[in-house]
Amino acid sequence: MYAIECKNLTHYYGKKLVYENLSFNVEEGKILGLLGKNGTGKSTTINILNGFLQPFSGECLIYGENTQALTPDTKRRIGFLIEGHIQYSFMNIHQIEKFYSGFYPDWNSAPYWELMSKLKVTPKQKISTMSCGQRSQVALGLILAQDPDLLILDDFSMGLDPGYRRLFIDYMREYAKAEHKTVFVTSHIIQDMERLIDDVMIMDYNKILAQQPVEQFMNSFRQFNITLASPDQKVDFDGIAVNIEKVKDKLEFYTYSAEDEVKNYLLSEGIEYTSFEEKKMTLEDAFIGLTRKY
Amino acid sequence: MFKSLLYKEWIKIRLVFWLALGISLLALINIFLKVRHDILFVDAANYWYSFLFRNQIYFSILKFLPFVIGLAVAIAQYIPETVNKRIKLTFHLPVSENGVLIRMHAFGALILLALFLVILGLFTAGSAIFFPSNIIRASLITMLPWFLGGMATYFLVALILLEPMWIFRGLYTAVATGFVAIFFTGASIGAFGPVLLPLTLITLLLSCVVLFSGYRFRKGEM
Repeated sequence: MYAIECKNLTHYYGKKLVYENLSFNVEEGKILGLLGKNGTGKSTTINILNGFLQPFSGECLIYGENTQALTPDTKRRIGFLIEGHIQYSFMNIHQIEKFYSGFYPDWNSAPYWELMSKLKVTPKQKISTMSCGQRSQVALGLILAQDPDLLILDDFSMGLDPGYRRLFIDYMREYAKAEHKTVFVTSHIIQDMERLIDDVMIMDYNKILAQQPVEQFMNSFRQFNITLASPDQKVDFDGIAVNIEKVKDKLEFYTYSAEDEVKNYLLSEGIEYTSFEEKKMTLEDAFIGLTRKY
Repeated sequence: MFKSLLYKEWIKIRLVFWLALGISLLALINIFLKVRHDILFVDAANYWYSFLFRNQIYFSILKFLPFVIGLAVAIAQYIPETVNKRIKLTFHLPVSENGVLIRMHAFGALILLALFLVILGLFTAGSAIFFPSNIIRASLITMLPWFLGGMATYFLVALILLEPMWIFRGLYTAVATGFVAIFFTGASIGAFGPVLLPLTLITLLLSCVVLFSGYRFRKGEM
C-alpha cells in the first residue's frame, strides 16, 4: 500500500522544463529521502504534494486522493514541516499549541510539552524571538502532537546547528519507526539523511537518477580511485561509468559495476593505471558521485 | 475548529483593534469638545447654518480614519500570513482552503464593522446632544461613504497582500487606489446620498475578491 503515488508528473516554469513523466511511490511505513541539487525540482515536488502547485500534467495521490483536492480528513493525516521550520511566529508556545489542538481530535500534547520543557524559553516568549533551533523543536513538537500518518518535511535541517539536527533526526526516526509513520523528507545536508531514511530518491535535472533502499544503493553504487599511468590518458565517459571525476592522473570512477568488470573495462579501453582501490563511500559521497560536483 | 481559527485571527488583530478604538475615541472626544467650544462662542443656530449651507463639516477629522483602520486591520491580519508564505500553514489545516479563507476574512470584516458601528454609534449619541436630527442624518449620510471606503480598503488590501505575484500586486494596487479614492472624493454635505446603495453593493461584492488571490496561490502562481 502506498501513502504517496505520483504518476507521470511533468512541470514547467515558463518554458523551463523541471521534469517530464516523473513517477514515484512511497510505501506506507517507510522514510524516503528526496535528494537533489538546487533547481532539480525538490521544492516543486513538495509543493505539488501539498497542493500548492498544480503540475503541468500528471498527478500525485496521497492516500488515494489527488493532492490538488485533498479532503480535510486526509489533510488531518498529513503533518507538514515548511522549509526553515516556519510557524505562526506571532504566537507563543502556549498559544500555538492551543490553536492547533482545536483542529485535531486526536491531539496529544504530551510529546509537545516534553520537547518544550527542554527549551530555555519563557512561557510568553513569541516564537519569532526564538533561535532557529528552538523553532525547529516547536515545529517538531507540533507535528508529534498532531500524530499524523504521513510527515512531509521540507529541508528540515536548514539553519540548524549539528546538535539540533541530531536531536531532530533521532526523535523523528524513533517516532516514525515506533508508530509506523510514513515520512517524505528533503534536506541539503545529506550526512543527516543517512541516519534517518530507509529509501533514497536522487533527482537530477529532468529525471530521477536512483530510487531504492539506501542499503541497496550503497551496496551497489561504488567508487574506485584509480591512478593513471599518464595524466594525459583520456578516459571515455561511455560504458559502465556513471560518472568520472579526473584531476591530472587521479581518477574517481563511479559505477554500479563490480571491481572485476571495471578492471576488464579499463583493459578493453586500453587505459593503463598504477593503482586501483575501492573507496568506501558515505551517502554524501555517493550523491556527489552520482550527480557530479558541478 | 472555527473557534481556534478566530483565536489566531484575534491574536493578530487585537493590538490594531484596541489602538483603532482608542484613537477613534480620542477623535470623537476632540470633535465634541470643539463643537461645544464653538457653540459657546457662536450661537447654535449660526453653527448649524454654517454646517448646512457653508459646508463646514465639524467631523472632518473622521474622514480618513476608516481608511486607516481598514488598511491597518488588513495589514495586521494578512502580512503575517504572507511573510515566508505562512499561508501554506493555514491552507494545510484540515478545513477546505476556501472555507478557511472565508472565515478569516469574515472575522476581519466583522471586527472592522464592529469598530465602525461603535464609532458611528458614539458619534450619533454625541451629536444628539448638540444637533437636531436632520443635521445628524445629513452627517451620517456624508460619513457613510468614508466607512464603506474603509471596508473596501480592507477587502482590496487583503486581495493585494495574498496575491503571489508582485506584478499583479502592483496592478491591483493601482486599480484599488483609484477605486477607493471614489469613496473619499470631496463633496458637499450628503452629496453621496443617491449613490450609497450602489457603493454598498460594490463593497459587498469586493468582500469575495480575496478568494481569487487564494486560488492563485494554491495553483502555484509565482
